Amino acid sequence: MGFAIETSGLSKSFGQVRAIDSVNLRVKPGEIYGFLGLNGAGKTTTIRALLGMIRPSMGSVKVLGQAVGPHGRGPWRHVGHLVEMPAAYPELTVRENLEIARRLQRISDRDATSRVIERLGLTSYVDRKAGVLSTGNLQRLGLARALLHEPELLILDEPANGLDPAGVVEIRELLASLAHEKGVTVFMSSHILTEVDRLATRIGIIHKGRLIEELDAQQLEELRSQRLEIKVRNLQAAQSALAQAGFAVKVKAGKSTIILNEARAIDAPDKVATILVNAGTPPIRLAVEQEEIEAYFLRLTGEKE
Amino acid sequence: MNAFLSAFWAEALKARRSKVSWLTTAAFSILPLIGGLFMIILKDPEGARAMGLISVKSQLTAGVADWPTYFEVLLQSTAMGGTILFAFIAAWVFGREFSDHTAKELLALPTPRRVIVGAKFVLTALWILGLTLMIFVIGLGVGTAVDIPGWSLEVAYTSFWSLMTIALLNFMLMPFVALFASVGRGYLPPLGWAFFSFVLAQIVSLLGWGDWLPWSVPVLLSGMFGPRGVEQIGMHSYILALLAFIAGFAATFAWWRSADQAR
Repeated sequence: MGFAIETSGLSKSFGQVRAIDSVNLRVKPGEIYGFLGLNGAGKTTTIRALLGMIRPSMGSVKVLGQAVGPHGRGPWRHVGHLVEMPAAYPELTVRENLEIARRLQRISDRDATSRVIERLGLTSYVDRKAGVLSTGNLQRLGLARALLHEPELLILDEPANGLDPAGVVEIRELLASLAHEKGVTVFMSSHILTEVDRLATRIGIIHKGRLIEELDAQQLEELRSQRLEIKVRNLQAAQSALAQAGFAVKVKAGKSTIILNEARAIDAPDKVATILVNAGTPPIRLAVEQEEIEAYFLRLTGEKE
Repeated sequence: MNAFLSAFWAEALKARRSKVSWLTTAAFSILPLIGGLFMIILKDPEGARAMGLISVKSQLTAGVADWPTYFEVLLQSTAMGGTILFAFIAAWVFGREFSDHTAKELLALPTPRRVIVGAKFVLTALWILGLTLMIFVIGLGVGTAVDIPGWSLEVAYTSFWSLMTIALLNFMLMPFVALFASVGRGYLPPLGWAFFSFVLAQIVSLLGWGDWLPWSVPVLLSGMFGPRGVEQIGMHSYILALLAFIAGFAATFAWWRSADQAR
C-alpha cells in the first residue's frame, strides 16, 4: 500500500533563506502523524508545499499517491486542510462560509453543511457573522471546513490553536475517532507537544528546516529518559544511605527530592525503598517519572543545555 | 452545479453581503443626479441664482441644456469616474482574499484556481455592466424629471452604445488592477495603480498621444478632450486596449496558478 503523504528531498528556499531542506516524509494511511517544530522550523512551509501552495525549489510531493502541483493540481477532493490561523469572510455567517466551501468542494449533498456544523458544535453560532466569532469558534469553523467533505486525509496546522481546554479535548477525541473508526489519515503540526504526544501514532521533528527525527509513538516512549524521584523527610540521611549503596545521587534544586537516573534504581524502586527504610528515613513519595516530551524535544533540538 | 457556477455563486454571495456593493451603487447614482443639477442650472441660470444653486457672480457658458449635452456629461463622468470606481470594484474582488487572509482557502480545492479567477472577472464585468445600466436608467429618469429639451430616440440609442463602449473599455483596464491586487496582496497597490494610471491618462491625453495609451482611450472617447480627442481614436487604440486586457488577464491567471502563496 502506498503512502498517504510522501515527500522526496523536499526543499524550499525564499531568496537566500532555506526554509526546508531535503525533507523526506512518509505518512502511512490511517496514521496520526504529529509534526513538531519550533517557530520558524519549517512546519507551515512544509504544509503549504504538501497542499501545492508553494512550489518546491527541489524535490517532490505526493499526496494520496498523486503528484502535487504545479498549477494547483492535486487530489483535493479527498484532502481537508487548515493552514495557520483559520480565515473566513467576516461579513458572511458561519453557514454562508461553509456553503461557499461546500460548493467549491463540489459536494452536492446540501445536508453536509448542517452535519458538520453539528459535529463541530457550531449550531448556536450558525447565523452569526464570522467577523464577530471568538478565536476558538473561528478555529472550529476552519476545522468544519476541513471536515466538510469527509476527506481521507487531513492536513492540519496547529488544530488546537485558540481552543479552550474543553475544546482541545473535544477536537483530540474527534481526530482520534476519525482515524480509528474511519481510517482517516491525520497530519498535524502543533506546538502543544503534549497534545501531539497524546494523539499521534507517529512523530516527526523538524528543526531549522530539516527533519531530524521520525519515530513511532512507542519508540518515543522508549527514547524519553526515565528517572526515579524520591521524596524524604531527612534529605541528608537518605543521600548518605543511597551514596553508601553506590548510587549517584542528585538533588532537585530547591526541593527535598532525590533523583536517581541509573537503570538499577528505575528497574527496582522497591530495593531503593528498602535501603531507605533500613537507614531510618523511609520515602514519603517514590515514583518513576518519564521525561516530558517538551524536555525530550528541547534536548533533541539542542535548544536547552 | 458545474465548477464555474459554484465559484460564481460564491463570488456573488460575497459581493451581495459586502458594503462595497452599496457604496459603489451610491457613488455611481450621484453621477446622473449631478448631471441633472447641471441641466437645471444651464436651463435657467437666473432661476438657479435665485434658488441659491449658483453664485450670483457666476457665468455659465459651458453648454446648453439639452439631451445631447446631458448624455455627454454622463459619458464623461462614466469615463472619468469609472477609471477609479471600477478599479475599486476589481481591487475589492481580488484584494479582499488577501486582506481577509482567505486566499489560502481557495488554492487546494477541487474547483480549479483558474475557474475561481474567471468567476471573479465575470463578477467584476457584470458589476460594471449593472452600474453602467443603472447610470443610464437613472439618467433617463432625471432628464425626464428636469424636462430637458431635444429628446430623440436616435440620440438616446447612440449615447447608450457610447456609454457601453466606454464601460467596456474601462473594464478592459481592470485586469491590471486585479493583477496589482493579487501580486500586492491587498487593496493599496491596485488603488495606487488606478490613481497613477488615471493621472498618466490625463497627462498623455493633454500631450496629444492618448490614442496610443489604453488608459486614455475611454476618456478621449467620452469627448473630455473635445472632438479632436474623439477623432484621434482609431483601430490602433482599440487594439492596444485589447492587448492591455489580454496581458493583464493572462498575467493574473498565471500568477494565481503558479505563484508561491507563502503568506
